[in-house]
Amino acid sequence: MKFLRVLAALLLIALAAGCAGRQGAASPTTAPQATPIPTATTVSMAATSTATAAPTAAPSPTTASKPAPSGEPVRIGVLTPLSPPGDAAAGQLIVRGAELGVKYVNEVMGGVLDGRPIEIVVEDDQGTPEQGVAGYRRLVDEKRVVAVVGQFHSAVNLAVNEIAKDVGVPVFSTQASAKDITAKHYPIAFRTHLIDPIRVEGWLDFIQQQGYTRVALVAEDTDYGIGLIEETKRQIKERGLQVELREFVVDRRSTDLTPQLLQVRDFKPDLVINVAVGQLAYLMVQQAYDIGLFPDTPMLASYDFPVRPEFWKNLGEKGNGLYFIAYYHPRQSLTPIGEWFVKAYEQAYNEPPVYSALSAFGGIVVLAQALNQAGKADPQALIAALENGTFESWYGKVTFPRAEGPYWHQATPSLLILHYTEPQQDWRQAEVVYEYQPSR
Amino acid sequence: MPSADLFLQYIVAGMMLGALYTVMALGITFIYSIMKMINWSMGEFYMIGSYLQYIFVIYVLGVKYWYLGVLVSAVSVFILGCILEPVVIRPMFGGFVERRTEYATVVTIALMLALRSAAYVLGGPYQRNPQTNLPRLTLGELTIPGERAVAFAGAIIAIALFYGFLRFTWFGLALRAAAQNRVAIQTAGVNIRRLDQLAFGIGVALAGVAGALLAPVFLVYPTNGAITTMKGFEIIIIAGLGSIPGALLGGLILGLVEALCSVLLSPGFQHAYGFLLVLALLLVRPYGLFGEREREV
Repeated sequence: MKFLRVLAALLLIALAAGCAGRQGAASPTTAPQATPIPTATTVSMAATSTATAAPTAAPSPTTASKPAPSGEPVRIGVLTPLSPPGDAAAGQLIVRGAELGVKYVNEVMGGVLDGRPIEIVVEDDQGTPEQGVAGYRRLVDEKRVVAVVGQFHSAVNLAVNEIAKDVGVPVFSTQASAKDITAKHYPIAFRTHLIDPIRVEGWLDFIQQQGYTRVALVAEDTDYGIGLIEETKRQIKERGLQVELREFVVDRRSTDLTPQLLQVRDFKPDLVINVAVGQLAYLMVQQAYDIGLFPDTPMLASYDFPVRPEFWKNLGEKGNGLYFIAYYHPRQSLTPIGEWFVKAYEQAYNEPPVYSALSAFGGIVVLAQALNQAGKADPQALIAALENGTFESWYGKVTFPRAEGPYWHQATPSLLILHYTEPQQDWRQAEVVYEYQPSR
Repeated sequence: MPSADLFLQYIVAGMMLGALYTVMALGITFIYSIMKMINWSMGEFYMIGSYLQYIFVIYVLGVKYWYLGVLVSAVSVFILGCILEPVVIRPMFGGFVERRTEYATVVTIALMLALRSAAYVLGGPYQRNPQTNLPRLTLGELTIPGERAVAFAGAIIAIALFYGFLRFTWFGLALRAAAQNRVAIQTAGVNIRRLDQLAFGIGVALAGVAGALLAPVFLVYPTNGAITTMKGFEIIIIAGLGSIPGALLGGLILGLVEALCSVLLSPGFQHAYGFLLVLALLLVRPYGLFGEREREV
């Protein structure tokens, strides 16, 4: 009897721990093959090219090569999830992108600040706010970084920003999409990823385009899922759309979504929006197929997990017909910087690049240009340069103006909706059914 | 009010999952009955079972022979359990007089972390799916995924085999005797340490069976055993620790409660209903439905 009470108490503690773990809910990403990465690593790419002075803006990769950087390196922190409960797969991709960013800056740009090399220092935030804050402090206090990139989990990014606003070293959100990250208008908060209002704007346009009127939104119970439900309801009302929306909230730790999906099927929607991350996103597709909901009823995945190499292995033909949001497509036109990255990535990893790596790469290259504009490796000067400058990234020119609401310090990539039309289809061949070019 | 079809679908889904949770609960309660310790690493043996199923189906047997994968996975997990028990558990039971069950329980927590970390290192954090060639079953308006129907049947078979082993074999008799009185069975000349090893192997093999059966339903990844293990513990609290018939009934009760509450209240709190049931039961019958009052002096 006493033992059972103790056991029950332990189970409740475990439940509470599970709930706590959920606050690190992800903004979505894609997964690379496993590459163990040390918790705190300094990566400095040796420069190999020779030529004249360092530029103040990113040069085209086809221009004359630059001299090998020398002198004291300028350090940039990469704070990203590299172990559970964070999305370690996303973190690994982000580190890959950041490493290639260092290579680009040192080899093609000739370094920063008149030829100094840059290097990255990697910290694992484990997808938890407390580890994120501790990691940020280590990067700033011990490693003396001038900026931090790589943030993926919205909850972590929000917590880090609360410390960073006092410390003053800027934080780049590489793939965290909660709008409060930039909506609080902290001087240190910058983002090179989509914000949730744009994601919702995109799928509501798609719903209108397809003529859907009954939509089921099945969302995990995290800041990501709940935030998207609220934003969707708000925008439907604001735009006066004739769409009947019903939301279904699922426990992020669930493995069996059948109860919710049966209710979705009973609702008879025209479209199901899958707002889950990681294995839950896969389970929703599989179990919707198993009960005969999908693909008879189309499903839209809220992020680009179907581009992962394991997508077809996990779902087989059950994944066919899925619509999904993506932020990059190989047929998209890239800047010369972006094209350099694609080639370098394919050469390094023997697979096509995905968005997480691109976004991290873009962040490093933009920071290098901003450092050159600032003229010194000082966080405050860097923030001023970021706010006032225009920078070349992988998809075009980007700025970080002091704009209104969540568009503060925000550079937004495009949003695409892709559609698998046959089993085992290469995501690069998926049908592009919708493309959203942000106006801001 | 939900339609009758929806209602029926929930009942069927709940009973099917309940049977699989029962297999986990049986493993936990069986190990406790014999060794008097809680094995917190059951979820990791579930996880290992699911990984083995994936490996056998994808790399060795092929999708056509997925059912053989379940057997091979179960046997492999049994062997692994038999190897691990003398290495990591038995040293905690150094003397016959003083059984440090608390230490052994802590060791199983360490084992849980070690096995989970090993899965991350060896397989990465990715999800995998051993495919099957099973079609979707349709009975009128009722749609049952083939994988779930087979997993349910597999769970029933595993429970029946387990019961048959305990009821009709000499080892089963010895294990039941050990569950009643560990000292007495030693006086009869039975090697209790071998029985511990066997019990641990069988207990974790039950988790391995559940993992292999559910691998194509809930995917394979390093933490996939967490929820199922938690359900297993809920069941033994409902049923009473050490009660095998109670575990059978507890699994069905938990599955049905979660299913019915999901359809009648909200599916968003599916896991909370089981905990509410556990809390309510602890207030009324703190020793579980089939447990017995105990006194310690």
